[in-house]
Amino acid sequence: MLQFLLKRLFYGFLVLLGVITVVFLLFNVLPGDPARMMLGQRADINSIEAINKDLGRDKPLTTQYFNYLNDFSILSIHNISDTNNYWYLDRTKYTSAIKLIPFGNYALILKMPYMRRSYQSKRMVTEIITEAFPKTVLLAGVAMLFAVIIGVIVGVLAAIKKDGFFDRISLVLSAFGMSLPSFFAAILIAWLFAFVLAKYTGLSMFGSMYTVDDFGNGEYLDLKNLILPAFTLGIRPLAVIVELTRSSMLDVLSQDFIRTAKAKGLSPYHIITRHTLKNAMNPVITAVSGWLASLMAGAVFVEYVFDWKGVGVVIVDALEKYDFPVVMGVLLFISIILVIINIFVDILYGMLDPRIRLS
Amino acid sequence: MEKELLQIKNLTVEFKTDSGLNKAVDDISLSLKQGEILGIVGESGSGKSVTSLAIMQLISCPPGRITKGEIIFHKKDTSQQDLLKLDEKEMRKWRGNEIAMIFQEPMTSLNPVMKCGKQVQEAILLHQNIHKKEAKAKTIELFAEVLLPNPAEVFNKYPHELSGGQKQRVMIAMALSCKPSLLIADEPTTALDVTVQKTILELLKNLQQKNGMSIVFITHDLGVVAEIADNVAVMFKGRIVEQGNAITIFNHPVHPYTQGLLACRPKLTMRLAHLPTVNDFMNETHFKSVEITKNERDDNQRIIYSKPPILQVKNINVDFSTQKSWMGNVTAYFKAVNNVSFDVYEGETLGLVGESGCGKTTLGRSILQLIKASSGQIIYKGRELSQLSRNEMRDCRQKLQIIFQDPYSSLNPRISVGSAIMEPMKVHNILASDKARKARVIELLERVNMNENQFHRYPHEFSGGQRQRICIARAIALNPELIICDESVSALDVSVQAQVLNLLNELKLDFNFTYIFISHDLSVVKFMSDRMIVMKKGKIVEMGEADDIYNHPSTDYTRNLISSIPGV
Repeated sequence: MLQFLLKRLFYGFLVLLGVITVVFLLFNVLPGDPARMMLGQRADINSIEAINKDLGRDKPLTTQYFNYLNDFSILSIHNISDTNNYWYLDRTKYTSAIKLIPFGNYALILKMPYMRRSYQSKRMVTEIITEAFPKTVLLAGVAMLFAVIIGVIVGVLAAIKKDGFFDRISLVLSAFGMSLPSFFAAILIAWLFAFVLAKYTGLSMFGSMYTVDDFGNGEYLDLKNLILPAFTLGIRPLAVIVELTRSSMLDVLSQDFIRTAKAKGLSPYHIITRHTLKNAMNPVITAVSGWLASLMAGAVFVEYVFDWKGVGVVIVDALEKYDFPVVMGVLLFISIILVIINIFVDILYGMLDPRIRLS
Repeated sequence: MEKELLQIKNLTVEFKTDSGLNKAVDDISLSLKQGEILGIVGESGSGKSVTSLAIMQLISCPPGRITKGEIIFHKKDTSQQDLLKLDEKEMRKWRGNEIAMIFQEPMTSLNPVMKCGKQVQEAILLHQNIHKKEAKAKTIELFAEVLLPNPAEVFNKYPHELSGGQKQRVMIAMALSCKPSLLIADEPTTALDVTVQKTILELLKNLQQKNGMSIVFITHDLGVVAEIADNVAVMFKGRIVEQGNAITIFNHPVHPYTQGLLACRPKLTMRLAHLPTVNDFMNETHFKSVEITKNERDDNQRIIYSKPPILQVKNINVDFSTQKSWMGNVTAYFKAVNNVSFDVYEGETLGLVGESGCGKTTLGRSILQLIKASSGQIIYKGRELSQLSRNEMRDCRQKLQIIFQDPYSSLNPRISVGSAIMEPMKVHNILASDKARKARVIELLERVNMNENQFHRYPHEFSGGQRQRICIARAIALNPELIICDESVSALDVSVQAQVLNLLNELKLDFNFTYIFISHDLSVVKFMSDRMIVMKKGKIVEMGEADDIYNHPSTDYTRNLISSIPGV
C-alpha cells in the first residue's frame, strides 16, 4: 500500500514536471508579449524593458525555466550571499522559509511554493487560486453529489424494473440529458427558474458564492446561488450515471452467483443490496472520477452563464490576457488535484473489488 | 423400504422462443426416496437442468413457464407439500433450507467481491435464528467438513484466491449449511479436472451418507453417474427415456440413446478407429467400428518415427512474474514451464496430459509464440521461431494452428461464422478472390458436417459442438501442417465429444495433419495419441507410447490420473 502510494506520488511528480515544461514552452513559443499587453499599444521601449527585467524575462529561457521550478518547488536552492540578488529569498515571495543545508554561497531551503504574481492584477497567484478554487470545488462537488445520488438510485430502480414504465422513461430522459449542451441548458435553466419563475423560486440569474451586501456591511455567504449552476452542471453526469448503473446492474444480475444467491433463499432486496450493488459500482466510479476531475478544472460555460467566479472563469480570463503565472498556477493546481483523485479512485477500486486489490 | 422424499408428477415446462413454444421438459415423472442418490443423465438441452431449476422454482419467467404437473415434497413430519403451489415468498424459506443446490461453474457461482466465509454465513443467518458469531463458528466447522485446508483462513479469502475444486467445496459447504433433506447438484464436476472430480464425488458421497440426505445428481456423463448414483433417469429431448437401478442401466442399457451415451466414451481396453456416437444408435445404423490392432499401430508408427521431426522443442522455460519491484523489475516469478524438451514427428498425434495448472496450455501457446518463452528454442522445420521476423512469423502461423478450449468465447459474437472462417484466409492471401474463398468456406463447413445455409449465421445460434466444428473449420482453412488442440473437447458433452474426436481423426487422415492434443482427461488423450507426455508442475514426468504409459504408468501422478477416469 505504502509502496503503491509512493509510486503514484512519484508519477504525479513527473506529471507536474511535464505540465510545467509544456506550458512554459507554449508560452514562450506563442507570439504575445506580456509587457506590451500591460502597457498598451503606445508603450516606450524603456518601460517595456523595465517590465521585462522585473518579470525576469530578460534572462535566457533555460534560466527562466529553472527559476520558475525553483520558485514552485517546496525544496529549492538559493544564493544566500548576495542580498541584492532578485532570486534571493524575500519576504514578499515566501511567507516563511527554513534554511536546511547551507553549502558555500548557496543553501537548500524549505518553503511554501511561490507561484509568482499575476501580470494583470499584481495579486499573488496563490491568492487568486485560494479564492477561486473553493467555489469550483463546491460547485463541482455538489453537482456530482446530486448526480451520483439520484443517478445510482434511478439506475438501480430502472434495472430492477427492466422494460417497465419507469425504466423506459428514465432511458428517454437520460438520452435527452446526455445530448443537451451545457451552455444551452445553463441559459434555459437560468431563464426558466430565475426569470420566469423567479417569484416562486426566489433565485437570481447570476451570483457567486458570496454576495456583497448593499448596505456596505461586507460580503456574506449566499449558498442559494449554488442551486441553479450545480443542477445544470449535474444534468449530464446524472444521465450518464443512470445509464451506466442500469447496464452494469443488469450485467451483474445476469451472472451465475445471483442464481446462487436465489438458491440460498435470499430475498430480492438482499440480492440487490448485498450481491449486486458493490459488484456493479466499478464502471460508475470510473465515470464519476473522470467527470469530477474535469469539473475541477472548471465548468467554463456554466460558471460564465451564472457568473460563478470559479477556476474556469479565472483560467479563461488569464489565457485571454496572456497572464502566464496565473495560467501556470491554475494548471499546476489542477494537475495536483487530478493526481490525488486518481490515487483515491484506485484505492476505492480495490475496496470494492478484491480481485484488483493492490499488492 | 425407505420413505419417499420427492415426487415429480407429469411435469411440463415450456419456454417461449422466437420460433414458438418449446417444451424443455415434457411430461416427466420421477420419484426420489430418502437417502437416495438419483442421477439424471442427458446431453445439454435435454431438459435436465430445467427440471432441477423447476424443483427450486428458479426458472426465469418469462420466457419459461411450468404448465403442468406437481412436485410433491414429503417433510420429516410426514406432511406433504406441492412446491408448485407455494408463492415466491414461501418458496424462499425452502430454498437453501430444505432444498439446496450446487451449480456447474464454481468459478462464477460465487460472488467475486464477497469473502467465501461470509457467503456461507449469510445462508446460515438467513434460515437459522442464531448469532453471527455462532454462524461463523459453524461456517468454519462446515469448511472443515468439506475438507478445505485451513478452514479459518478460507473464511476470510475471496473466491479468486481459491482453486476450482476448493471453490466447489465452498459451494458444497454453503449448500449443506442448513442440513437440507435434498441436495440438487447440477453438473457439479463438469468444469473440473478428472482428478478433482474424483475427490469431489467422494466427498459428496461421504456427506450424503453422514447426513442421510438425498441427492439429485445431474450430469451429461454416464461414467460419473455410475460412480455415485443409486438410481438413474436418462433424459432425451425433454423426456425420460429410461429409468432404473444404476448398475443395471450401466450394464444392460435398453434404450438406444442410453446405449449410445455409454458407448461414446473412449474405451480404455481397446482402440477403435472410429468412436460410436449417440446418433449411430438412435438411427440404428448397424455400425461396426474397426479396432486398430497393435500391429497396425506399430507399423504406422514405424513410418512416422523414421522421418526427422518437424517440430523440436528444446529446453523451453516460461516464467510468469508474480511480484514486481516499484521500478517494474521482476523480483519473483512462477515457472509455468520448466525446462521442457520433446520432438514432434510428421503425421503423429502427440498427447499432452496433466492437471490444470501443470503448464500444458502455456506450453502449447509458447510453441505458437503466443506467449514468449523465457529461454529455449522452438524449431519448426529447421527454423527457430523466436528468431523469425514479424513477416516470416506470420507466414509460419499459417502452418501452425490452434483450436481453443472454449468454443463460446473463441468466436467473435458479432462476426458471422462464414466471415470468421474466411478472415484468416484473407490475412494469408489464400485463394484469389472472395468468391473463391466463400466457395472454399462452404466446402469446409460441409466437411465438418455443417451446411451452406449456416454461412451467414452468428455463433450464438449454434450449440457448443457446432461452434467447436466452426473453430476446427477456421483452423483447417489455412491448410496448416500442425494443429494444437488445447482442451478442444473439454467443454463438450461426452456425446458431442465423440463426434468431434471422430472428426479430428478423419481430418487427420484426409489432410495429413500433425496434432498436439492437450487435455486433462487421460482417457481421451490415450484414444487420440500415438505418444503421450504427462506433465506435472511445469515438468515432463513421463513420455512414451500412449498405450504403454496407460498400461505401465511409472509414477503415482500418472496412476492417479488413470484411476480418476470416471467409470473405471
